[in-house]
Amino acid sequence: MTAEAHIFRLDAVSKRYGVTVALDNINLSVERNEYVSLLGPSGSGKTVLLRTIAGFETPDEGRIEINGRDVSSLPAHERGIGFVFQNFALFPHLSVADNIGFGLANRNDPLPHDEIVDRVSDIIKLVGLEGLGARGVGQISGGQKQRVALARTLVTEPKLILLDEPLGALDANLRGRMRNELRAIRERLGVTFLHVTGSETEALAMGDRVIVLDRGHIAQFDHPDHVYSKPATPNVAKFLNRYNMFDGSISGSAFKSEYGDLAFIQKTKSDHPAYAVRYDRVAVDSDGSAGKGPSLPANFIASEYLGSSIMYFFEAIGGKVIEVEHHLSHGAPKTFEPKKSYRLRWKPEDAIVFG
Amino acid sequence: MAVPAKTSSTTAWWLIAPGVIWMTLFLVIPILMIVYVSFWTQTTFKIESTLTLASWQQFFASDTYITSLFTTVRIWLIVLIATLVIGYPTALYVGLFVKNKTLSTILLVICVIPFWTSFLIRVLAWRPMLGKEGAINIILQKFGIISAPIEALLFTELSVIIGMTQIYCVFMVGPIAFMLGRIDPNIIEASRDLGAGFWRIFRKIIFPLSLPGVVVGAIFVSVMVLGEFATASALSGRKVNLLGNIIVTQVGSLKWALASVVGVILTIVMGIVVALFLRIVDLRREL
Repeated sequence: MTAEAHIFRLDAVSKRYGVTVALDNINLSVERNEYVSLLGPSGSGKTVLLRTIAGFETPDEGRIEINGRDVSSLPAHERGIGFVFQNFALFPHLSVADNIGFGLANRNDPLPHDEIVDRVSDIIKLVGLEGLGARGVGQISGGQKQRVALARTLVTEPKLILLDEPLGALDANLRGRMRNELRAIRERLGVTFLHVTGSETEALAMGDRVIVLDRGHIAQFDHPDHVYSKPATPNVAKFLNRYNMFDGSISGSAFKSEYGDLAFIQKTKSDHPAYAVRYDRVAVDSDGSAGKGPSLPANFIASEYLGSSIMYFFEAIGGKVIEVEHHLSHGAPKTFEPKKSYRLRWKPEDAIVFG
Repeated sequence: MAVPAKTSSTTAWWLIAPGVIWMTLFLVIPILMIVYVSFWTQTTFKIESTLTLASWQQFFASDTYITSLFTTVRIWLIVLIATLVIGYPTALYVGLFVKNKTLSTILLVICVIPFWTSFLIRVLAWRPMLGKEGAINIILQKFGIISAPIEALLFTELSVIIGMTQIYCVFMVGPIAFMLGRIDPNIIEASRDLGAGFWRIFRKIIFPLSLPGVVVGAIFVSVMVLGEFATASALSGRKVNLLGNIIVTQVGSLKWALASVVGVILTIVMGIVVALFLRIVDLRREL
């Protein structure tokens, strides 16, 4: 693959704050015209990584290349990137149109006034803010502010746009709508989006590819369905919030846990042994006997109705909560008696084992 | 909703009542009294409530008084500009460039420390600084920059301006630093990311956002400088007479009517100045 196929590339980038390692030897390259989401729990270094690519932070080591050009020592505005802030960071004293036109009017080689007006009105149409150009940014809704923040960056025609938790400040309804819009806008313009989020559903739903960051290093960089069904490390499985995780160790062909030996078929190499099984791969059996395949006894606690599925919560020995998801398309929900013991079982091929 | 509405308006009335009573007793009534007294008849040893324009005519017929009106306005303008020129960069440093909140608070407190000494001492301390054999002259002579001491430093309009600028500068720094400290750092990063250089960011983002602070600071400084008399009498050797000095002199010789005339004129000048500043920004919206 040639260098030009990449919109940006990080080469052994590290960043420390005192003794804390924020970024640990990051190697990453992202292709043009791609929607990449960057997932990580708080403190994993995802915002630092984004700010380092943008040029708001300087890495201690390593090289950053954008558009095939080494930008490691260039300031933010010379990197040809756009940045969308979590709190939008709109200019509070300017109108919507002046906010959007700011970059064109105030860069070192400002565009002529007429051209700014044309380009601003084009982008206002593109993001769906018609008729709001003259409004103050204090007089528009959260979703509209988000659009202004995006338009302000898009109008300067960057090839790479970095979004720092862009949907975090919006309410749930709006978040869903803006997800679709962000994807649609990106596809229309053919730019690359790097979208930082702490929400696993958002990361999986939006990214063409997903980067999972864990304590300053990249744990996995793959298509969302691979990340979801084949997490590369126990921590990735944990972040996804879709797996029941068990501690223990591998011994021969079984995984030794406090619930006895759990069978599995394949294992993934990892320094930290763990046994994971997805919520929706666990079946509930009212017959308490062990039978065939991996299983464990647990008491029913409560259930939660989610519309298309229902979540059952069970308590295993030692107080560990085990979640079971039942898709309603697979049949009517079952009712379980609280505090009664059931047996949870799954197929050995559904287990993901690290060790 | 009639009942809650009534309750809330009653509550509102009780909340503003202390303020209204206080302002009426100690602001509105005294101002009306001053206006009234300015039309009283003044004789050498007493004052009568017979209405006359005599004191007003006396003020506008006198070159001394008219000159002092212009001196007051001139010194106010110079001090205002000086406090802004010195205060704004200071505020910019304290409010924006110092990222550490504790450090910026400490720096602001340092600005306020001179206020722990009495006003008169602060003013008089300028005498050994600016005098013919004062610190500044001695230092300049030691370094051979001047051969004879500069006498214009003390007991001139310049010394009054230096003294006032030093005393009132902090009232400019405070409000501006406050407004600058409220600017979201992301906004400045965003404008930098959009390609704007430092001066553009300052002109288009930082300065407009700090303007309410400038206006509040300017109002503080203006009101205090226009009503000043102590700095002028201590540092000008009675050569600079502001409207405030005339009021002090007239009250001292029991000329209540003329003192009231000057008081009314001073109040009108301050009213115009404050009104002009408030036209620049809508403070209620900005704060």
